[in-house]
Amino acid sequence: MKYILMMQFPLSEWKTSRMELWPPQDAKAHINFLRQFNKELTEAGEFVRTEGLGGPEQMKIVRAKKDGTPAITDGPFPESKEVLAGYWIIDVETPQRAYEIAARASAAPGPGGAPLHMPIEVHPVMMSSTSGDV
Amino acid sequence: MKYMLMMNAPRGGYKQFMSWPRKDIEAHIAFMINFAKKLSAAGELVSAEGLASPVQAKLVRAGKDGKPITDGVFPEAKEFLAGYWIVQVDSPERAYQIAAEASAAPGVGGPPLNMAIEVREVMSGPPKDFE
Repeated sequence: MKYILMMQFPLSEWKTSRMELWPPQDAKAHINFLRQFNKELTEAGEFVRTEGLGGPEQMKIVRAKKDGTPAITDGPFPESKEVLAGYWIIDVETPQRAYEIAARASAAPGPGGAPLHMPIEVHPVMMSSTSGDV
Repeated sequence: MKYMLMMNAPRGGYKQFMSWPRKDIEAHIAFMINFAKKLSAAGELVSAEGLASPVQAKLVRAGKDGKPITDGVFPEAKEFLAGYWIVQVDSPERAYQIAAEASAAPGVGGPPLNMAIEVREVMSGPPKDFE
């Protein structure tokens, strides 16, 4: 079963607490944690992919106009409270295993090395280009 | 440059979609399959995933002992990620064109949905200072 683990960053904290603003050694420790985490998932055969996204200040919202050309506005949506910072797709046997992995990601080290306890959204994946569905 | 194109659905969107006439659901899915094929043939598709209903989603945090604490997803959220594409393109404009094509996926009776598609750049690695 494939799951997506979404790291949601509170939009209100992006300006004050995003990783670029941490002490460099703490950001390095965070990145090293993520590298090690990805390596372990890969070795366990559970890793499908991961991506980190650019900041919300570059985000756009696109809709098709009547003629199919893009109408582009600046994001995020005004009602958004979180911004997706990055995600993992994993392939695991049970939802419980997906939650365990999410808890490890949640405990990634933050400023001063303390676990961040970030909320991680876990959704089952229905269709995937990696399984040839789409 | 890699971009993530995110398609959001309102909380009740999954139920509503499943209540469309069958031929409209089929036309929508056929559009999505063809869209991914075209992107793939153009060498622009990195990956695409469709997510299950938010009813099955959980919010997870590590407890003090590192064990997962699970909860339902954000009760105040009105919109959920329904699916996304990662595309590899030469310019942001091309990413916006592709997003507009996804936005125009057919809805009930066939007219374009004109859904809002969020477009975010994907970072190829950690910020350079932290390497």
